[in-house]
Amino acid sequence: MGRDDCIREPVKHIRVSGTMTVDQLIQQFKNSGSFGAGRLATACDIYEKMLRDNGCTIFLALSGAVVPAGMRQLTADLIRQHLVDVIVSTGACMVHDAIEALQSHHYKANPAVDDLELYKYHLFRIYDVLVPEEGYVRLDYALSEMYGEIADEKKGAALSSREFAWEIGKRLEDRNSILRAAYEEDVPIFMPSIRDSEFGFIHWLHATKAGQKNVLNLDAFKEVPEICGICKDSERNGMIVLGGGVPRNTVQSATLASKKSLDYAVVVTMDRPETGGLSGSTLSETISWGKMKGAADNVMVIGDALMIFPIMVASVVERLGSGFRRETFMQRKKALTGEKT
Amino acid sequence: MSMREQERFCGNCDTHVSYEYPTKIFCSTRYEKGKDPIVDTLWFCEDWNLVSQECYCVQEALRARDKVRAQR
Repeated sequence: MGRDDCIREPVKHIRVSGTMTVDQLIQQFKNSGSFGAGRLATACDIYEKMLRDNGCTIFLALSGAVVPAGMRQLTADLIRQHLVDVIVSTGACMVHDAIEALQSHHYKANPAVDDLELYKYHLFRIYDVLVPEEGYVRLDYALSEMYGEIADEKKGAALSSREFAWEIGKRLEDRNSILRAAYEEDVPIFMPSIRDSEFGFIHWLHATKAGQKNVLNLDAFKEVPEICGICKDSERNGMIVLGGGVPRNTVQSATLASKKSLDYAVVVTMDRPETGGLSGSTLSETISWGKMKGAADNVMVIGDALMIFPIMVASVVERLGSGFRRETFMQRKKALTGEKT
Repeated sequence: MSMREQERFCGNCDTHVSYEYPTKIFCSTRYEKGKDPIVDTLWFCEDWNLVSQECYCVQEALRARDKVRAQR
């Protein structure tokens, strides 16, 4: 590479006008091409490319507390508009969704509040968001009853976390719920760390209830062939990661196990690579494991997912226009096998 | 802690969690026994055990009860 190759494209300075749309601002970021602005613009381009690629299955990996902070509706809308194919989530994100589906809320708060006082008021804090204990307790009560119903229906047969998510989604009436939307739109939700959430701990209450004939049975390994099968049956695979952790690793490992590797990847995180933890690991590291192709379109955006992701979606939806239609992985698969949707 | 708060109440029992703050609580012990788990904060039963870390449930439930009585 010569010197001239290094200085081919000058930075174009960002212009802002009072009437500009989200995507127009992103195009200005693209002109800059620098720092977070450039990375965000690249993330929008990659997401648009994934959506326009008819053979691409898009995995959305959710972790952290994006749902309590306000990303519940957006996620449900993405499912209903077929702008994602598969959700891989912590159990907690779906617990937060179910709490709101049962008419409880999360509340804005001052993070400098006295936490012992909050404890005394039975209020739980997630940085500057509060959730009253009642939200969890009402969910616990409802879930324990649902678990009993599901266990009786399944007669001891083990469910994968995907099947579990659909059983819960089936029983939630709130149309704005992620779990409900996924159930209605036939979008798989995998929760590889489901035990480490209220879904897991409430199993104790359900299992110890007097007169409980059948106990809900979940098989942690059952979802492995399910998610690997999706990767294998997809021409190409793309992932959008909000945060990281177990959901990111699950998507990456599934693409590796299915010998497909990722074709597209967008990671939005605040984590650092130096600790060796997965959430902050670079996508270059992902290539070294064979989990992403060397030629894959990829970018890591360092920032708060709650700010970055809605901007990404707004920009890309604007580009696609109202007439854009896309079939999900499950629709494509059912069309191939002749199965009715 | 006031004398009233040292009395036995579901709201200062170690199996209480808030169901409708501050007047109703969910009791996991009753749920396990197949009994109605939603009880008044100011009620108590034979399984009562003192809570390990105090909260405002009893204090606020007493205040709510006093308020209702004053309105009558």
